[in-house]
Amino acid sequence: MSKKIDYRNEIDATLYKPIYETGKGFYITVGIFLLLFLWALFMYITQVWFGLGVTGMNQPVSWGFYIVNFVFFIGISHAGTLISAILRLSKAEWRRPITRMAEVITAIVLAIGGLHPILDLGRPDRVLNIFTVGRLQSPLLWDVTSITAYFTASTVYLYLPMIPDIAKLRDKGGKFTWFYKFASWGWQGTEHQKKVLNRAINILMVMVIPIAISVHTVISYIFSMTLQPGWHSTIFGPYFVVGAIFSGIAALLIVMIVFRKVFHLEDYLKKVHFQYLGTLLLIMSLLWFYFTFSEYLTGIFAAEPHEMHIILYKFTGPYAIFFWMMVICNFLIPVIILGFKRFKTITGVLIASIAVVIGMWLERLNIVVPSLANPRMELTVGMYVPSIVEWALFIGGISAFVLGFVLFSKFFPLISIWETEEGRKESVKEVEKRVKSYLPGGEIITK
Amino acid sequence: MSKWAMVIDLDKCTGCGDCIAACKIENNIAIVDPEEANSGRVMFWIEMVSVYEGEFPNIKIKRFPKPCFHCENPPCTKVCPVHATYKNDEGLVGQIYHRCIGCRYCMVACPYTVKVFNWYEPEWPVEFRKCFNPDVSVRTKGVVEKCSFCAHRLIKVKEEVDLEGRDIQDGDYMPACAESCPADAIYFGDLENKESKVYNLAKSSRAKREMENLGTEPKVVYLSKRE
Amino acid sequence: MEIKRREFLKLLGGASGAIALGSFGCNQFIDVPDKIIEIAKNGAGIESWKNTICALCPGGCGIKVRLIDGIPVYIKGNPIYPVNQGGMCPLGHSALELLFNPDRVKSPLKKIGLPGGGKWESLNWDEALNIISKKIIELRNEGRPHQVVFLDGSNQHGLMKDHIERFMKAYGSPNYFQFPSIKNDAVPYHLLQGNSKIPSYDFLNAKYVLSFGINYLEESYSPVYYTKLYSYLRGSTGEGRTRFVHIDSRMSLTSANADRWIPITPGTYGALALGIAFVLIKEKLIDANFIKSHTSGYEDWVDKNGIMHLGYKNNVLANYYPERVFQITGVQSETILELARELGNNHPSLVLGGDGSSNNTNGTFSQMAVHSLNALLGNFEKDGGIFYVDETPLKNLPHFELDDIAKQGIEQNPFGNSLDMAFPFADFSIQTLIQNILAEKPYPISVLFIYKGNPLFQTLNHHEFIEALKKIPLVVSFDSFINETNEYANIILPDHTFLEQWNIISNVPSVGFSHIGIQQPVIEPIYDTRSSADILIELGNKAYGNNTKPFPFEDYVSEIKYRVEGVYNSGEGAIVTEGLKGSWLEFLNQRGWHIGTYDSFDEFWNLLLERGGWWNPIRKKKGFSEIFNTPTRKFEFYSQVLKNRIDDIVKKKGIDNSTHDIEFVLGRLNIKTRGDVIFLPHHEPIPYDDGMPIYLTTFQPITNRDGHASNLPLMQEMFGFLTRHYWTSWVELNPETASAYGISDDDWVWIESVNGSIKAKAKIHPGVMPSVAAVPFGLGHTSYGRYAKDYGVNPNSIMKNLYDTINGIPATQSTKVKISKAK
Ligand SMILES: Nc1nc2c(c(=O)[nH]1)N[C@H]1C(S)=C(S)[C@@H](COP(=O)(O)OP(=O)(O)OC[C@H]3O[C@@H](n4cnc5c(=O)[nH]c(N)nc54)[C@H](O)[C@@H]3O)O[C@H]1N2
Ligand SMILES: Nc1nc2c(c(=O)[nH]1)N[C@H]1C(S)=C(S)[C@@H](COP(=O)(O)OP(=O)(O)OC[C@H]3O[C@@H](n4cnc5c(=O)[nH]c(N)nc54)[C@H](O)[C@@H]3O)O[C@H]1N2
Ligand code: SF4
Ligand code: SF4
Ligand code: SF4
Ligand code: SF4
Ligand code: SF4
Ligand SMILES: [Mo]
Repeated sequence: MSKKIDYRNEIDATLYKPIYETGKGFYITVGIFLLLFLWALFMYITQVWFGLGVTGMNQPVSWGFYIVNFVFFIGISHAGTLISAILRLSKAEWRRPITRMAEVITAIVLAIGGLHPILDLGRPDRVLNIFTVGRLQSPLLWDVTSITAYFTASTVYLYLPMIPDIAKLRDKGGKFTWFYKFASWGWQGTEHQKKVLNRAINILMVMVIPIAISVHTVISYIFSMTLQPGWHSTIFGPYFVVGAIFSGIAALLIVMIVFRKVFHLEDYLKKVHFQYLGTLLLIMSLLWFYFTFSEYLTGIFAAEPHEMHIILYKFTGPYAIFFWMMVICNFLIPVIILGFKRFKTITGVLIASIAVVIGMWLERLNIVVPSLANPRMELTVGMYVPSIVEWALFIGGISAFVLGFVLFSKFFPLISIWETEEGRKESVKEVEKRVKSYLPGGEIITK
Repeated sequence: MSKWAMVIDLDKCTGCGDCIAACKIENNIAIVDPEEANSGRVMFWIEMVSVYEGEFPNIKIKRFPKPCFHCENPPCTKVCPVHATYKNDEGLVGQIYHRCIGCRYCMVACPYTVKVFNWYEPEWPVEFRKCFNPDVSVRTKGVVEKCSFCAHRLIKVKEEVDLEGRDIQDGDYMPACAESCPADAIYFGDLENKESKVYNLAKSSRAKREMENLGTEPKVVYLSKRE
Repeated sequence: MEIKRREFLKLLGGASGAIALGSFGCNQFIDVPDKIIEIAKNGAGIESWKNTICALCPGGCGIKVRLIDGIPVYIKGNPIYPVNQGGMCPLGHSALELLFNPDRVKSPLKKIGLPGGGKWESLNWDEALNIISKKIIELRNEGRPHQVVFLDGSNQHGLMKDHIERFMKAYGSPNYFQFPSIKNDAVPYHLLQGNSKIPSYDFLNAKYVLSFGINYLEESYSPVYYTKLYSYLRGSTGEGRTRFVHIDSRMSLTSANADRWIPITPGTYGALALGIAFVLIKEKLIDANFIKSHTSGYEDWVDKNGIMHLGYKNNVLANYYPERVFQITGVQSETILELARELGNNHPSLVLGGDGSSNNTNGTFSQMAVHSLNALLGNFEKDGGIFYVDETPLKNLPHFELDDIAKQGIEQNPFGNSLDMAFPFADFSIQTLIQNILAEKPYPISVLFIYKGNPLFQTLNHHEFIEALKKIPLVVSFDSFINETNEYANIILPDHTFLEQWNIISNVPSVGFSHIGIQQPVIEPIYDTRSSADILIELGNKAYGNNTKPFPFEDYVSEIKYRVEGVYNSGEGAIVTEGLKGSWLEFLNQRGWHIGTYDSFDEFWNLLLERGGWWNPIRKKKGFSEIFNTPTRKFEFYSQVLKNRIDDIVKKKGIDNSTHDIEFVLGRLNIKTRGDVIFLPHHEPIPYDDGMPIYLTTFQPITNRDGHASNLPLMQEMFGFLTRHYWTSWVELNPETASAYGISDDDWVWIESVNGSIKAKAKIHPGVMPSVAAVPFGLGHTSYGRYAKDYGVNPNSIMKNLYDTINGIPATQSTKVKISKAK
């Protein structure tokens, strides 16, 4: 992009910079991840050509990485829209630099995650059967419905608050003005427009929360609606939702920390953001532990043989290492790091977040594979080792995410400019008013 | 309406495996590549389960052939997103191969682990293609299959009794495995027919259904004196 | 002509196929095989059924083949055939894979390049047969017809044996040998009873069945027949039902289905039998009357020369007290007591032994020990006991006057006779064959015919065997495939498979009634193959020139017809009929059986083809003198037959070399015992002398008869359907053994003998004796087509070259090994 466009004088120049200046780093990143993505695409084509035999799945482990990653990615997607909606709803002022990033994560990861069941199909050519002869009684159909709804809601929810920023970019001119012009929907920033926009955001914000919760609940239903030991559990709905938010926050933190560094956003993303989100992560970690503990305790206490068999298998079988790694990653590491002020630095938070993302992926693996490997029937235990194709598609999914995020950041500011401005202009006053209103006697004073 | 069911007498069954072979030949079931077979992709619509019991030298072995149980309340059909597996009026749980999208949800939902998947396109040398059973379609890669209770035989029997202008009698409709069992351990018939062997055997004190507590109501009943 | 719609539709086996496609979700464009589309286009196929006999194992089951437009598509058991009554085993079900096997030899082949090099050239039949007839006519003209050896591995109990025998005799060679040989199997019976018949057992009336090793539900002579009996007995409720106890080193199907399985140290079941005899005798649970009047050698006795001899009783009482037997066999003394008491108190009770499990250096003596229990219990010719079926009334082949060349030829010393005193009772031993060929003694071999056999794979001593095969100028194999042995043949003459061929199966050993099954072609030969029987007719007649014909038949089927006339003429028995099931047991009990009447032989013959067989459940009761054909006309605990033969050997050898005294002979025969005990049932320890810790035993899974089913993909897939090992060999280990060697389930394990090592996957379960490594026999082919080659291992390749020196059977259970986890 041309240097003619003058953004340097803006207060939020840092936020415009990545859009108007393209460094070597951008090309290298895009190049690498594009290659990885293309490699994954090629692998997928071989899978379509030869059949699912190219994966490591078998009987009885007839679900593997694809379903694990499906649940994992959809979980990550909870970062965004849900968190942003909750923060907006609770009028948390510190949300302003975070919401956009959170929402972007949702949109991209949801798209990636939502495609995973298709990757998993033996006959992807017949995917449209879901619409022509779909059976609404199938939890898979519930998934399709809720994911579609969530995807729609969250893209709109991402898009609406972007409109004023897009208008800003349009007004700056440059290469893609036509696009910005189209996408800004004739935003002029009139009072009426602002009112309408705010209303729309408010409505969506309320709507999106139940949808988001439903999505992960329904995903858990895929498992819990079956009779499989280890799956058939009433706790799964909230357990999955908590897990999803947990991994979502962790993913959000990672993204924030990375872009803070790369785009020099230190001025926007301050320690307080990491403190607050870190605390939230800690709470989720404890919640996660609570659910995990309840899930296993009920299993162990009742000691139904099949259930018990699978629990023991998880604790001591060939996948035990993954189970204990999960406990370490999801509980020990975050609690130690986030529980002590001394460790709760940005680096500390980054480590904890990475641990949680890995841990939550392991959790999905621990749910899917060991149960399937131990069918109720007295058969030999199954074994599942993912194939190169499955790894490729996993890496491809991650690449798609990175690519999506980097490209997004190339075209749009990662932190909402107008909301930042708004915050500067109005928040302090507004918050003062609000806080006063919380206090005893506040009412009287204003009168 | 009939309700077809199978009774397997484990006191008579020797575990010879003939039911497996008969089923494979009758239903054009693919023979998978050796390495594939050993990595858990072997395709049997009925397979043998062996459980060793006791301490050496007083070992006993519990062994039973396991087809699809054609559950009255099948967990597998409930989850199918496209109605590619279903239970019909006569209680047979069928697969519609050309509609199946290969999500394998029914496989993971079946508590009896009886379903198999076409991980690759099944292959036969041209010579073997000559002896396919023409009554049973050959599957493609990417779809799930399982024991059908040899439903194609029922269709044929119905046609025959239609022509002869009579009702189906006990023993008219026999799946390949039941017909071939050298121990006469497999009975097959209509649970709604009070005269039928299966009706009476299913009520015997030796009768057991696998994992009854799950509420699946399997229509394959095992007879065994042993607990 | 108007065909009624009903009848017409009935013909249309495939009609419902089209409907099935609809309702069972067959997509016209993707899922349907070409053939079905073809049929749908041409209208439905015509369905028909044809009866024949399964020839995939010696079991002799009657089968029905379903044909659509003349193409066989399915096989099921023939419900009215009395041997199997509609039952089958998995192997039989895969017969279509034999017929349509892509690796069949499709035209005569001639070896080019080095033997074993795998290079072949197609010939037409005239060329191939010319080469052979030129050679055999030449040999006859040179007066050397005896230099032709015919090895028959078919292991089938039918007319083909007589046919080949006649060919060889007329040609002028005494060298027709069956490998494996029923006669060898029957040596223990021969030694005790003086006849070589395999007994039948009256399971239905027995209260208690004790079996030693013989895996009759899975293998043995006719697994389906025994399965029928077993399941019938299991189905009968009530207290008095038959109790089965099985003794084996591993949990075979027979062990698994028995009421009780007794694990035992391999190679010691003779000792256990005698331990049981000890208790029977001590507790007077024996049939004293029978022993007194119909046996000899039970008590100590004095011979003509006034010398005192040891009897069975005192030998047993002195040597086989339970504690000692426990030391040998690993079976607890209490168990021995229990077994003996159960056996002695549950009348009638039966004792079974033999077959493959006796393939051991001490096999003959062990089996004598087992069979002697039947004598203690007086189990002969009574309900719930042992009996012998009548020969089938087949007509003998017409008399044929041999010419001088033939007469001279058959006078020659048979090639199968050992050069030294080994294998005194062997009809034939591969080991002898190998040694004689290599030594060119008593004469060199010029032509070797092999029919339906694969001795190189099946037996031991592979290395020398190959050298021997290479030495023979012309090796001709009648086979449908190229197997390990055929790799060293000069010419392969492709035979029809049994589904394309005529034959008669007659009296499968141990089946309880006399019967014949008719094997008829269900389809025209699909390749340019010929019936081996027809070829022999052609070659036999050619060798004699134009005037005289040893085979006055156009083809084999005419010969069969000729012989079956005897059955028709006898007026005995009947063609198998419907309604068999209900009255089968009655038939077996030999009550009320009406004999069918037929207007003409043609009617008889056509009905025979339609129904599949003939049988005669009425049996002539046999006197003891008939079944005990010994010098004493009694059951001989002390085998005079053996004694006389050994005396003969000592005498003969003594003439040319005085050092060949009894010591030398016994040494050569590997008999460690001395004195009278030699001729009594006794336990002869197996010569394990290499300090290896683990017993290697083999067994034959139901899916793969002796390894010849390895070219059938379904049988390869099902090879280990019980242990979940497909297309591969495994080794069964007791958890105790496995943990001692740090081996866990599914690890690869090296099994190493002094002769080499093989690798197999560990299957750890408690159904096998500690210190035993049990490896299934049948895989490890290095030839034999795409489905067989390079899958699994052949335990024979590491076995020591040991034999039962009495009957010449390879001792496939006599090797010890060490095991280790393969990295
Ligand atoms: N370790 C070990 N060794 C053993 C045994 C054991 O238990 N353990 N068992 C032993 C015993 S008991 C036996 S009987 C021997 C078996 O020894 P064999 O009888 O020699 O063995 P098969 O492999 O059955 O050989 C059969 C051959 O017949 C061919 N064939 C099949 N169908 C036809 C046909 O229609 N026509 C013709 N012409 N040929 C056909 C096949 O291609 C194959 O080559 O093995 C012995 N070896
Ligand atoms: N399905 C099928 N049927 C067959 C055959 C086949 O391969 N498959 N082969 C046919 C032929 S040719 C034959 S010869 C027969 C063979 O029939 P069997 O004699 O029944 O067969 P094997 O497998 O040789 O031996 C049976 C059992 O003996 C055990 N055993 C080995 N050594 C000892 C021992 O020292 N003591 C005791 N007590 N047990 C021991 C083995 O563990 C094995 O389980 O079957 C015939 N029928
Ligand atoms: S065929 Fe009959 S006896 Fe054999 S395994 Fe099947 S049910 Fe049992
Ligand atoms: S056994 Fe499994 S596949 Fe068969 S009906 Fe029941 S749940 Fe469905
Ligand atoms: S795999 Fe096929 S039959 Fe099974 S649930 Fe999926 S679409 Fe239905
Ligand atoms: S009923 Fe038919 S499809 Fe089912 S196991 Fe038996 S033979 Fe196979
Ligand atoms: S037992 Fe032998 S004869 Fe009978 S079906 Fe099996 S292979 Fe054929
Ligand atoms: Mo044999």
